[in-house]
Amino acid sequence: MTSIKRMLVDPSSNDSITSKVYIRSAKSGKVTKIVREIYLRTDIPCSSRLCRACLANAPVDSNNRSRPFVLSEKPAGTTQYKHGHYLMPDTNIFLQCMDAIEHKSAFYDVIVLQTVLDEVKNQSLPLYNRLVSLTKADEKRFYVFHNEFRQETHVKRGQEESINDRNDRAIRVACKWYQKHIEQAAASSSATAPAIVMLTNDKANLAKAKSEGLNSTDLNGYVKGLKNADELLDMISSSLQDLEKKANRGANVYAEYFSLPKMNTGVRNGTLHQGTFHTSTYNSLEGTVGVPSFDKHLLIVGLENMNRAIDGDQVVVELLPQDQWKKQSDKLVDQDTLTKNENADVDEVEAIVTERERRALIDEAKRIQRSQDESQKVQPTAKIVGVLKRNWRSYVGHIDPNSVNRAKSGGQQVVFFRPLDKKIPRIRVFTRQATQLLGQRIVVNIDTWDRTSRFPVGHFVRALGELESKEAETEALLLEYDVQYRPFPKAVLDCLPSEGHDWIVPEKGTSGWEKRVDLRDLLVCSIDPPGCQDIDDALHARLLPNGNYEAGVHIADVSHFVKPNNAMDDEAASRGTTVYLVDKRIDMLPPLLGTDLCSLKPYVERYAFSVIWEMTPDAKIVNTKFTKSVIKSREAFAYKAAQMRIDDKSQTDPLTEGMRILLMLSKKLKQARMDAGALNLASPEVKIHMESETSDPASIEVKELLETNSLVEEFMLCANISVARKIYEAFPQTAMLRRHGAPPATNFDDLRSQLRARKGLDLRVESSKALADSLDGCVDPQEAYFNTLVRIIATRCMLPAEYFSSGTQAYPEFRHYGLATDIYTHFTSPIRRYADLAAHRQLAAAIEYEALDETLYNKNKMDAVVKNINIRHRNAQFAGRASIEYYVGQALKNKSTEQEGFVAKIFSNGFVVFVPKFGIEGTIKVETAKTYDADEYILELEDGRKVVLFDKVKVMVNVVKEQATGRRKTELTLA
Amino acid sequence: MEGLRNDGRRWNELRRIHCQLSTSSTNADGSSYIEQGFTKVLCNVTGPAEPSSRQKVKQDAATVTCEVYFAAFSGTDRIKRGRNDKKVQELQTAIQKTFASVILTHLFSRSEITISIHILSQDGGTLAACINATTLALIDAGIPLKDYVCACTSGQSTSIFDNEGSTPDPWLDVNYLEESDIPSLTVATVGETEKIVALSMENKVRIEMLEGMIAVGISGCAKVKGIMDAEVRRYGKTRLEAATGE
Repeated sequence: MTSIKRMLVDPSSNDSITSKVYIRSAKSGKVTKIVREIYLRTDIPCSSRLCRACLANAPVDSNNRSRPFVLSEKPAGTTQYKHGHYLMPDTNIFLQCMDAIEHKSAFYDVIVLQTVLDEVKNQSLPLYNRLVSLTKADEKRFYVFHNEFRQETHVKRGQEESINDRNDRAIRVACKWYQKHIEQAAASSSATAPAIVMLTNDKANLAKAKSEGLNSTDLNGYVKGLKNADELLDMISSSLQDLEKKANRGANVYAEYFSLPKMNTGVRNGTLHQGTFHTSTYNSLEGTVGVPSFDKHLLIVGLENMNRAIDGDQVVVELLPQDQWKKQSDKLVDQDTLTKNENADVDEVEAIVTERERRALIDEAKRIQRSQDESQKVQPTAKIVGVLKRNWRSYVGHIDPNSVNRAKSGGQQVVFFRPLDKKIPRIRVFTRQATQLLGQRIVVNIDTWDRTSRFPVGHFVRALGELESKEAETEALLLEYDVQYRPFPKAVLDCLPSEGHDWIVPEKGTSGWEKRVDLRDLLVCSIDPPGCQDIDDALHARLLPNGNYEAGVHIADVSHFVKPNNAMDDEAASRGTTVYLVDKRIDMLPPLLGTDLCSLKPYVERYAFSVIWEMTPDAKIVNTKFTKSVIKSREAFAYKAAQMRIDDKSQTDPLTEGMRILLMLSKKLKQARMDAGALNLASPEVKIHMESETSDPASIEVKELLETNSLVEEFMLCANISVARKIYEAFPQTAMLRRHGAPPATNFDDLRSQLRARKGLDLRVESSKALADSLDGCVDPQEAYFNTLVRIIATRCMLPAEYFSSGTQAYPEFRHYGLATDIYTHFTSPIRRYADLAAHRQLAAAIEYEALDETLYNKNKMDAVVKNINIRHRNAQFAGRASIEYYVGQALKNKSTEQEGFVAKIFSNGFVVFVPKFGIEGTIKVETAKTYDADEYILELEDGRKVVLFDKVKVMVNVVKEQATGRRKTELTLA
Repeated sequence: MEGLRNDGRRWNELRRIHCQLSTSSTNADGSSYIEQGFTKVLCNVTGPAEPSSRQKVKQDAATVTCEVYFAAFSGTDRIKRGRNDKKVQELQTAIQKTFASVILTHLFSRSEITISIHILSQDGGTLAACINATTLALIDAGIPLKDYVCACTSGQSTSIFDNEGSTPDPWLDVNYLEESDIPSLTVATVGETEKIVALSMENKVRIEMLEGMIAVGISGCAKVKGIMDAEVRRYGKTRLEAATGE
């Protein structure tokens, strides 16, 4: 009788199935052997448009569609390969030269082998993602060939063969197969076959390929045959170029990192600490690491202790002995003064600590001895012993002109790159185009930072344009804050309604009206800043027969147009928010939706999501209703126009009356909020007027606040709070909410002691109510602006508000400190914020309008969404501020003026002045100060003048070109 | 990506199926062995015979009992599953219920049919392989059935990128990796009809996806039936030749 045995009787099936054996070891030390099947097939196409055979049996998906072929029939040729060529790079080429490969001028028709793709994925996830997006985009014609699954190209690892050798062989086998296959295909259609060119920098692999008769070349050789070889060569990772130089480097500058197991054990048993490293804004030789086991941040002083960490890196630190603990520096130190005359080419190993650095540190030490008595101000110090995760990204900046050797015209040289972000050290860059790149805004990536090098080493990525040209600077700013500014891809635009601008709300009773309430007869109007195109919100109010009021907030129904998980939704989710720059708006949604179909424009019918309250005349909410609706806005007001309309006693039409009701209610809402302890914080907001013709900035004014501003604000807050409660009730684990943590009292320590010393005022910070009240008390009868100044400084002591999903925090932590409410979300601006769109979808599901998409009830996916929008939101704010700063600089160009400023911060060798008129802030450095009284915050200058904290000073506002960033910036000097 | 799954199959392809009848004819009335990919299951059937205990006696029909044993080495981690293990009991109940409705039990009153299954290796679709093995063993034992019972799994891929934004393809016959990654279900049909006798799903999936998954699963069942039928016929033929040759 038959018995059970390993049965693969049919020899033909023997060919098509193979197995992959691999061994996986878990963190716990457990080792498992895993055997997986692999099905080998013959229907994987070569995807060349030359090939008819593959096209004929191209596979189809469940909808009977097959993928279009990618590689062109007439690929570009080079001097070497006249009849055109397809490229087949190996793994290292992608790892080291991704920037060059992404360049528009070269690297078309590329075959990405599955072997290579998998290796790239294992080595670097970011690079893998970039490679995948290249293969998805059509224009570069990248094709992923699944060589591991094709019978002819599958390669079994031989005995004694290393994995790398096996993979190299797999690439050669695939290359050979392709070559033969394409030749056949070309012969059948009587065309000349393009060459298959294997790209590798591995010498052994190259030699083997040559002996097997394959076209192969190394990257340098290939790129040299291209037109813009210099530019492309610059974009190749320096780790590749530097190999031979590295060998003959001298001594080490920095201490070696601990091994990973050593760090892990250390962190676990408490001898080492883990945290995120932040460079100080004012002192480039100093940084801090916040670790869970210490209340205070750990101070990292000096480049040696910083040990190659860059702002934002995840690091492991070791505490220094207590006698080395220090006070946070009260000096201003920037990189410029320290390393002015260094040469990028020469690595001064011997001068580990340059003379200037040393002097700065000694000064520091002296100061600490002097203030031994204030031992409570001493901070624990630490040194970095390892970096767990690098926070490297692309940096925007320019080439330091001093580091360029102008005489040397051709060939490679090493130059210093100065990033715009002052927290990032200068980067050494190898370039062949140093002279061309001078005066250009460029992008650079960091490759490595070796122990032997004082500075990180990077490579050139691309040039954005002339320094100070508007286009280059705007793009630089967007890149620096990682704002996605490219035009919307076609896949996104395809998700828009096909009617385009002609789309209208359909007839009542037809599709689209299901579960929608007809609110077209309500007298709704919108109030926005002048010139606003994306109108998110509209309002109405009326008196009810029972003496109560009905007030309604109507929000653009974006979730009707943006369905979950389509291309448009993905794009919006990754953009996260609309970014407002001075002269430009980077939309989250395509403008057709944002400024037309969703925008609640006047006089036309629009879909809306309405929150309608019944309120008592004291603005107490009796009843809340949420509904999708159709509205027709009667008028779109600017704040000023609305204010005039309300103030104009002769207007008594129902719309104006409604607005008066809204205003009356909003005042009561505001009072109630203030009584609960909401903070009224100040941030310097300025508006820049542009000359309409040249679009150059002409003048600056501080934004004016009207009653109608707060009218709109109060109702939006009210709507957000109501919606937050509703979605939290419906989705207790995953509601999209926003919280603002109470700042730790220590954040206010400096400000409190400053206020006590200078003005004899006491700031109470135990609750937001106490803070609000004591802030009200911070007045100087002689100086009206003093209160605003204190508010601005207090705002900086706060924690940032953040989005979160309700399952990640306990209910008491939901509190919004600034608004003094127990729960809050963002609901009212879905056109420009993704969080609001998510809240819309959750609310729609909560009122059973439609089913909720999985991303919004799955905890993990929700966390990913929240994390992204928090980052995007913060970056958008930074970008907006940087844009204002840039334009203020441009507006004040060549206009040196004397202005009033206030001293906001004081150091032993300088102070920070805030100029309210322009909303700018600048540091004034004092080379030699006579005395500095750290307790009274008084700095006496050489000439006997005294600079006192919080006092008014006269300053000259100039605009100069900043050496460090190549950007025009305001500079203040004492008048 | 590119429409290929992590083992090189396309969305509508089964794994290799190898099946065998009469694998241990000495101590069972019917036996079978099936491999679906690396999922390997051995099944023995005894009966119809006198019921082992009084409680199992039914006056008008045969009782179907089922015992499932997991080999400790069958998964990636070594796990011993006892008689009272939840998963074992679940499988037993599912198989018992399925076959009680398909075996013509009224022909064998006051008797018992025992199905005993040994799972030797698990690589996804364990329940489906068990059901298929049982069908073959029952056929080998000569127990009358309404038709073949064929089972197959299908899963709903989620992250596969798709240019057109339409729903991604359902996957037929998921392996262990896919099973732990995406929602999947097991469906068993009677012969090539679309009559479902067993349907089990342990994950959550959007309701719109379910229909597609079941449809793909049913088409898979039909393919499995073809393979099993061919093996039964081949085996029958060799037996017949052996009998007539002598």
